[in-house]
Amino acid sequence: MTELEIGQEVELEFGGKAQVLSVIGSGGQGTVYLVRFNGQKWALKWYDIDKMKKPKEFIKNLRSNIADGPPDNKFLWPKYLTKEAEDGTFGYIMDLKPEGFDSFVDILNTYKLEVDPLTGRAVKKDVKFSSLTAMITAVINIVNSFRLLHRAGKSYQDLNDGGFFINVNTGAVLVCDCDNIAPDGSNFGIGGKPGYMAPEVVRGIAQPNVQTDKYSLAVVLFKLLFRGDPMEGEKVVRDVCLTESSELRHYGQNAVFVYDPKDASNRPVRGIHDNVIKFWRIYPDYIKDAFIRSFTTGITDPTKRIIENEWQKLFIRLRSEIIMCGCGRTNFASMFVQPTEKTFKCPKCGMEFATLGFSNRSYRMPLYLGCKFYECEMIPESEEFMKVAGELVENKLKPGVLGIKNCSDRKWRAKMPDGVFYDIAPGKGFPVWQGLEIDFGEIKAQI
Amino acid sequence: MNNDNLVEQGMNTAADINNNYSSAPAGDDLLDFDDDPLSATGVSRKSLVIFFLIDTSGSMKGKKMGELNTVMEELIPEIRKVGEADTEVKVAVLTFSTDVRWMYSAPIPIEEFEWARLRASGVTSLGAALKELNARMSRNGFLNSPSLSFAPVIFLMTDGYPSDDYKAGLKELQANSWYKFGLKAALGIGSEANDNVLAEFTGSADTVVHAYSGGQLAQMIKIIAVTSSQIGSKSMTLSDDTSHELGEEDVFAAKQKLLGQQIQDLVGKAEADDVPFDTGW
Repeated sequence: MTELEIGQEVELEFGGKAQVLSVIGSGGQGTVYLVRFNGQKWALKWYDIDKMKKPKEFIKNLRSNIADGPPDNKFLWPKYLTKEAEDGTFGYIMDLKPEGFDSFVDILNTYKLEVDPLTGRAVKKDVKFSSLTAMITAVINIVNSFRLLHRAGKSYQDLNDGGFFINVNTGAVLVCDCDNIAPDGSNFGIGGKPGYMAPEVVRGIAQPNVQTDKYSLAVVLFKLLFRGDPMEGEKVVRDVCLTESSELRHYGQNAVFVYDPKDASNRPVRGIHDNVIKFWRIYPDYIKDAFIRSFTTGITDPTKRIIENEWQKLFIRLRSEIIMCGCGRTNFASMFVQPTEKTFKCPKCGMEFATLGFSNRSYRMPLYLGCKFYECEMIPESEEFMKVAGELVENKLKPGVLGIKNCSDRKWRAKMPDGVFYDIAPGKGFPVWQGLEIDFGEIKAQI
Repeated sequence: MNNDNLVEQGMNTAADINNNYSSAPAGDDLLDFDDDPLSATGVSRKSLVIFFLIDTSGSMKGKKMGELNTVMEELIPEIRKVGEADTEVKVAVLTFSTDVRWMYSAPIPIEEFEWARLRASGVTSLGAALKELNARMSRNGFLNSPSLSFAPVIFLMTDGYPSDDYKAGLKELQANSWYKFGLKAALGIGSEANDNVLAEFTGSADTVVHAYSGGQLAQMIKIIAVTSSQIGSKSMTLSDDTSHELGEEDVFAAKQKLLGQQIQDLVGKAEADDVPFDTGW
């Protein structure tokens, strides 16, 4: 019983029956169906056990994952197992992907195909991030979910572009395909997806684990930001035809990063890798350096790979360095002119931006209407990178006057032009002026 | 066996890539002042061409042709799904009877492909078809994508013994590197089709199947076309056992072997399903 019929009922392990409504999609290990169970709609993954190497161990691992629960609500985690069919086939039930999320694959393609149910014709629809902040937030969310997973002592094993759904308007992320997640050190037969697999896995000398996850994570991040393959450049394209042996060489034995500073043999090729060429110039050095490290020393030495916490810090910084200029230009501060140490200037329209310096970091945050900072940037021990702490807004009663609104639940103190610090309660704000100082508690900030 | 050979033998224009495209960062000034981090185009995809070689000789007339046309129409949406983010799948259809004809003058992306219904008449010029395939299966011909390609999928369907010198055609084709590394499968239709000839074409008996009834024909075409395009459009996980480091010889023709295994598994399953409920006890 590899495939289920529409209308068929599948018994769950702890009672109840799920009725198959339609096919959602199929993957390497089985098929996902839309089912009704307990009056609600769910997704049912049903395995093709002929394609599995260790079905018994696999199901045991699945059972313990269900018992442990997800590390965080960003995971579409297995909820209930089905009973095993006579031939040993089985499946599990999980939540459906909520509305408003697009697959990472569609984001990389920049479009999705929607099939008109009447004509059967496929129509292309754009899939793009609505803002740079949303894209970098998505990166932070991806990194954070793997940080939480690894902290729980588990590895994802099969990290690739099929593993995420992303909301392109908010940057919210859902991690799906959680069924290969296993305690670090064990593997139940999955190797991973070529192009995302760590070189040592491609070469056949290591099994997926937390360290190989880190390599795959760097590939996912590279693809999301630079929209290309970190290992596909001139050296690879020269082969014309990608045979099994060329893959073994280019992704295993002799993988060379396209921007390896010491090896120019595999640079991106104009006409094929235009995205990578263009975006590599845009990102600030601290981001590029992290990718260079991941894909040079990190190729041969898994311990040199960037850890999730480090990625998280780098991208929280990158998010705080975005400037959305009134003229429509949005980019990172490093792509703006810096007339003084404390200001940025738009190269297109000439608008100048003041910056806020925080006492716990060396870089400054540019201030523009609508810019936000988050709780983790205001409280040293906070991990809350999605909770807005402050925002630059226009005073509703005094048009034209810009100030910072306290969106947090803490009381701040801010220095006014009279030299006195005043209490700023949650929900209140204060004007931005030359000489402004803010006291968040442990962390202070000033213009 | 490595790709350097491949480049020298058949894909002689590999060097053109370097003439046509300068590699970065030499010419950054060529780019417009366009630095929006969100204005990405789709990631560069590898391309895969699926060649269907279809016998349209007179003996295919009637039910066989009707069945074939219908299943091919239904098949296109299924193949559309297999490329995902990584691969752009294109389809080329070569028909052979007395004459040899391409359905379209170039491979068509699967998203835009529409099946033009075929008619049957004439004799079975398989040799001429293989020659024509060899002529087009080159960097200057149908495999001219500037980006990387996977080796093509070549799927032959025929219902009769070749009426011309197929061995001469096959010999020419066998010298073509795209053919050598390509994924080959064949379907014999009815009792006249000769599985040995087909195995000569695919290089192994595993990737040859036979259909005797209309229902089987539809089933086998789907099995072969979907399986081969799935395998062809993706890189493969080279090894699952970590006992030793892989060498070139471990991975040589791994996809063709996998195709043989999967086709045999699926055909076996399909045939088991065909057994009437009251037999086999």
